[in-house]
Amino acid sequence: MALSGLEIYKLLPKTNCKECGQPTCLAFAMKLASKAAELSACPYVSDESKAALESAGAPPIRLVVIGAGNKKIEIGNETVCFRHEKTFFHQPGIVVRVKDTQSPEAIAALVQKVSDYSVERVGIQITLDGIAVENASGNAQTFAKAVELVKSKTSLPLVLLSQDAATMEAGLGAAGDSKPLIYAATSENWEDMAALAKKFNAPLAVHSNQGLSGLATLADQISKAGVVDLVLDPETPSANNSLALMTQVRRLALKKNFRPLGFPMITFPSRFASSPEEETIVAAQNIAKYSGVIVLDNFDPTLVYPLLTLRQNVYTDPQKPIQVKPDIYTFGDPGPNSPLLITTNFSLTYFTVAGEIEASGISTWLLIADSEGMSVLTAWAAGKFDAEKIAKAVKTSNIVDKIGHRKLVLPGFVAGMSGEVEEELPGWKIAVGPREAVDISAYLKGIWTPN
Amino acid sequence: MSKFIATAAIKGARAIVAQAEDEVKKAIEKYGTDQRVAFTNTAYYLPTIYGLTGNKIETLGDMLPTIEHCKALVPEVPSDRLWLPYLGNALDAGMATLFAEELIEGVRSIGAASGTWPEKAPWGQYNGSIDDIQLRSWGIQLVDGRMPGFAAIVGTAKSTEVAVKIVRELQARGILIFLSAKSEGRDGKKSITDQLMEAGVELGYDTFTVPFGSDTISAVHALGFATRAALTFGGVKAGQAEDILLYNKYRSMAFVLALGEVDELKYATAAGAVSYGFPTIADTAIPNIYPNGLTIYEAVVSMPFDEIPGENDLERAEKLVQRCIEVRGLRIKVTKIPIPVAYGSAFEGERVRKDQLRVEFGGKRSQCFEYLRTVDSESIEDGKITLEGPDLDEVPDGAALNLAIVVDVAGRKMEKDFEPVLERQIHHFINGAEGIQHIGQRDIAWVRIAKSSTDKGFRIKHLGEILRARMLGEFGAIIQKVQVRLYTDPARVEEMLKVARQAYHERNVRLADMTDESVDTFYSCTLCQSFAPTHVCVVSPERLGLCGAYNWLDCKASYEINPSGPNKPIAKGRLIDPVKGIWEGSNEFVYNNSQRAIENVTLYSIMESPMTACGCFECIVMIIPEANGVMVVSREDSSMTPAGMTFSTLAGMAGGGLQTPGVMGVGKYYLTSKKFISAEGGMKRIVWMSSFLKESMPEELKAAAEREGDPELIDKIADERSVTTVEELLAWLEEKGHPALTMDPLF
Amino acid sequence: MPVTVETPIEKWNGKVREVTLGATQAEGGTRTSTVTVGGSATLPFLHFEGSVPHRPVIAIQIQDVDPQDWSPALRAAWGDTTKDVVAWAKKAAELGPDLIALNLRSAHPDAGNRGADEVAQTVKSVLGAVGLPLIVYGPGVAEKDNDVLVRVAEVTAGERLAIGLCEQGNYRTIVAACLANGHIAIARAPIDVNIQKQINILINDMGLPLDRILMDPTTGALGYGLEYSYSVLERLRLSSLQGDGMTQMPTICTVGEEAWRAKESKVSEGVPEAWGNYAERGVIWETITATTQLQAGADIVVLRHPKAVGLIRKTIDLMMAQ
Repeated sequence: MALSGLEIYKLLPKTNCKECGQPTCLAFAMKLASKAAELSACPYVSDESKAALESAGAPPIRLVVIGAGNKKIEIGNETVCFRHEKTFFHQPGIVVRVKDTQSPEAIAALVQKVSDYSVERVGIQITLDGIAVENASGNAQTFAKAVELVKSKTSLPLVLLSQDAATMEAGLGAAGDSKPLIYAATSENWEDMAALAKKFNAPLAVHSNQGLSGLATLADQISKAGVVDLVLDPETPSANNSLALMTQVRRLALKKNFRPLGFPMITFPSRFASSPEEETIVAAQNIAKYSGVIVLDNFDPTLVYPLLTLRQNVYTDPQKPIQVKPDIYTFGDPGPNSPLLITTNFSLTYFTVAGEIEASGISTWLLIADSEGMSVLTAWAAGKFDAEKIAKAVKTSNIVDKIGHRKLVLPGFVAGMSGEVEEELPGWKIAVGPREAVDISAYLKGIWTPN
Repeated sequence: MSKFIATAAIKGARAIVAQAEDEVKKAIEKYGTDQRVAFTNTAYYLPTIYGLTGNKIETLGDMLPTIEHCKALVPEVPSDRLWLPYLGNALDAGMATLFAEELIEGVRSIGAASGTWPEKAPWGQYNGSIDDIQLRSWGIQLVDGRMPGFAAIVGTAKSTEVAVKIVRELQARGILIFLSAKSEGRDGKKSITDQLMEAGVELGYDTFTVPFGSDTISAVHALGFATRAALTFGGVKAGQAEDILLYNKYRSMAFVLALGEVDELKYATAAGAVSYGFPTIADTAIPNIYPNGLTIYEAVVSMPFDEIPGENDLERAEKLVQRCIEVRGLRIKVTKIPIPVAYGSAFEGERVRKDQLRVEFGGKRSQCFEYLRTVDSESIEDGKITLEGPDLDEVPDGAALNLAIVVDVAGRKMEKDFEPVLERQIHHFINGAEGIQHIGQRDIAWVRIAKSSTDKGFRIKHLGEILRARMLGEFGAIIQKVQVRLYTDPARVEEMLKVARQAYHERNVRLADMTDESVDTFYSCTLCQSFAPTHVCVVSPERLGLCGAYNWLDCKASYEINPSGPNKPIAKGRLIDPVKGIWEGSNEFVYNNSQRAIENVTLYSIMESPMTACGCFECIVMIIPEANGVMVVSREDSSMTPAGMTFSTLAGMAGGGLQTPGVMGVGKYYLTSKKFISAEGGMKRIVWMSSFLKESMPEELKAAAEREGDPELIDKIADERSVTTVEELLAWLEEKGHPALTMDPLF
Repeated sequence: MPVTVETPIEKWNGKVREVTLGATQAEGGTRTSTVTVGGSATLPFLHFEGSVPHRPVIAIQIQDVDPQDWSPALRAAWGDTTKDVVAWAKKAAELGPDLIALNLRSAHPDAGNRGADEVAQTVKSVLGAVGLPLIVYGPGVAEKDNDVLVRVAEVTAGERLAIGLCEQGNYRTIVAACLANGHIAIARAPIDVNIQKQINILINDMGLPLDRILMDPTTGALGYGLEYSYSVLERLRLSSLQGDGMTQMPTICTVGEEAWRAKESKVSEGVPEAWGNYAERGVIWETITATTQLQAGADIVVLRHPKAVGLIRKTIDLMMAQ
């Protein structure tokens, strides 16, 4: 059970020394409670308190880090089954699989493409996260070479796939100190694999197709052997049973604090797919439901881009909505006489308004004000979308250079401040648009005039 | 049930059943049992009989069992010495009457081919039964609320003039009108239909007026219409009599208006209508029947026409119609506000500047106030708008006038406590008019009217039109009548102002006197669950909503107006802890409505299971352990607080529907409540407070400090102008001798 | 030491209500088959926990005027068929969907402003051409919706169509028409659980039985608010499992309409190369949007692209296989 800020505060030295970087012990305690600070930042906490806090604070799903460079995959540490309950914290790493039976050229080319893949979406660069190297050849040397090749081409984290400990060791040797994910320990090889994980200080995947009891038994043995950074693979032949098992793992960890399964999971969507599109569909389900590492067999921007977009969507903090960049957005080919609308930078507000303007077919300027990501009414209530802020958005943009008229359309819900805006923007006419975005089209077509 | 009415109804029923039997038998003799009988274009046979009994009458022969049924239903006429409750008997008689009347109309329909039915009249032809297509079209409008209800007018009005006025008043409200029968002795044996035709009133489907026939028997088509409405829209099957009657009681807003003498057949027919939940309003002297469960309100209301107060018959007719609307509880909507300027949300924020100003009320140069009060339904006339004093076109440009806006409302569900809730909407309502600016409320209201609006013909009475239309539109669930009195005559304004100020004062006292103990219901607010799904605001008389926008009364009114909206009653249930403010009812409600995320909630504590917050709080309370107290930072204050965090950082902890002991988002007026963190010792715990709060409610804080027994408390509370760190705070508190330092340790 | 894992089962005390669309001749309509949705006593596809008696189903969306504003990538898939709504309906039915969703776009003032009678005839002819149950959407303009849908409801009385959209600001007339003619009302709310519940209650208050209401909590396309509708669907499902009778209606998601509005699906030029192949992108956009809505609790997904129909049907097969 997580402690509240007050309970944590009682265990702190209460000196307000500020050495943790927080102004007071209570502020620090609150940060700890919301997992926004590390206890180690407090130099004066007593050992007794430390023990109490650590045992209470141990996350029900362990945080596992794959990779050692600046591009790490951090997974686990989730606290809820449904994103609306709080948020999903660590988005799954999406990695692409290469096989050591492929030609070095093919491997190099694919690795290059995966590493270079990057695209901006709502102000954030979205990228792929790693390369999985599979020992399909059955040969340790070939595997090691392939790993070496991949490593030379990318700084992305690696996942090494082999059931054979000796082969894995060769691969790990080639991977150096990059802390790849070792895939996988099974009931047959777990002792050797665990030894490798320790030796190379790398996280270890645990695979079982014997249901959750088999998986838990294995994971328990391995963690008792001293390897604690585990990633689970509860393999099963059916897609819906896979969802069932992953749901159960998540529930057991969070609701029962069931330690043997308190780890992130890895999935291979191709297990249930007969085409690249189907693999994408299963991967999408894995993103929504609880996967920590998703290993793709196919790399195709057409298929990867939707997955990365989905991941961004699902892992958005529901309490901190995505913001769009305050700016002037254009629809169609707006000219000096085109309407100018303003709204807030809450992404959903923007998307809704943009969709309706687009649908109207009327060339339009849309000015997005910085409302700290709040919707129109919320921002208005919080003073983030008031006359002053609106005037500022108009003045700091260069919209006056683009339009001939001086008429700004406010969202209908803030009709009440049109007078104030007029005072803040001398020389402008302030018009009031519809309350709901769905009426924008009718407004632009039927009501709006530049005068 | 009045014995007189019961006896009359039973006598009427016996006579009409005998007549039906006779007519059916004669018809069988003439045409045989296989002769088909049917109303025009309906799939529901003889609909009342079909609906209530399931019998499909298609031929004369099919009628015979119903005759027997009627005979079995009709009770004996009660003897003079019998004094029993007659309700059941009278209702049975009513049912038998409807069946008998429908049988007779059915027999008459045989002549339809030869053009004898529907009935002919000197001016043309009556309509008879309404066809199914029209039924559906009107039915949809009755169900979706475009039509408020229907009136079955039976008899003859006092005069043609009165007949026309009654119909016009009903039409103006969009009420569907069925006409039948006549009253001997009134207006030369004319039926109401004859009267209307004489006056050149256009009747028919297009004008929502249907003349069924010249006798009372034809009135049964109104019930046939109601029966088919239940079968069509109520998902009820033929034969489910009770469901049909209940459907009509709760969903068909119909009533009978009996004009002229009520004879035995009319009593009998009215008894049938009462079973449908349709009350009868008579314009002659007959016994009243008070609410008895069959109708939602009164069952029979007598309003002798000549005794209705009024200048003339037209006014009396108007009042008669208003009474009908009240008795049935019709919900009237004004679809278009009758004012000469545009109206809509687009005009809400408009300013009227000096150079555009025609007249202003209030502000620095004159007095303006608004006052809404509940009055007795009898003493107001819906839609009446009066002005005493000069109007807009009688004063020079830029003039300042005094103005009193007095809104009288009446409604069955209106409560005095809702007055301020409705009154506050005046601002919003008036602002919607083009070229009219409204600021403030109560006696600091300020209204400006632009030249452009007066040029278009806007006058003071239009303020009344706006208020009536919007009040009925928004609050039609609780009020049925709105009357607006406007005064610009200074003496009258002064006089009314006294009345209003007395009312404001009483309201303040009432609100101040209301305690959590004095009510057994709190209210929830889940308006913000769209972004904080686990947050439930529990609003009690002594703890208003954290956004500051909803107090207990607002929530109560909001629930009455919109029971499926965001505010729901929370029965307090068993008191678990009076100090912390925990009840079984509030815990259960919060648990069930927070996605089961919050199990316990206290109303008076910040340390234990404090109430969650969405993010809309006016201020944040957070404990300062070093000072053994709490600080309060307001949304307006962006500076550093002694907690080491600014408002926006704290907001992340306090909001999002999470329960964070030690931090709480609240409405600022909660700070002055007796129940403000009373579990931890109350207001005396406040050691620091944003200066904005001190300045925005100095009187209230002072009064609360006095109540807490430390009149100087506010001066002992630090603010951001002097203190921004814990160290400074402690020094300040020592220096001022703040009471928190000597209170029990917080934890 | 073997560790035994006890399957963690949530005890729910409610389930999604069953709603049957379409009526056969014996039931007063003319459909050759009916479709029942809902009934789930657990979260989507969690067969280990509770019964999932009915598959989520697919509706193909067509409209009664040639959709020239649709993405070229989508138009290409249908070719000339879109010019004739009856031909289009037949071709859609050949793809094996469970339902056809007909948009009466032609009644929109911007798209011909056809009158109620004419439009009602269109619905009749589509009913004549295909045997599947039908979903009918008005043009989305309140007055026209009320005018057109009332007439459609009348001429199709007994067919048990699903008719929409009923929104907070305009629902009474459409509901009345459903009441009178034995149809199902689609209640739409703007991605808000409480407003959804409220509109459900209001519709039910008018007398429409709960098994004749579908919920459309508004769909956000991938990248365009998907996370909001995803969470609202999950919350609605949780709430119905927790026993709230007023959120237990099956859900319908207009996936195709939203997904094909996305810039990714529409625009072929001047977009990042990393977006991939234009011709395929829209299909995947629609498919992924549908997949996640199904995962969150959609009972009916309304799709537009034939290929997406195939992919989603296969996905449903996969998730329903026992």
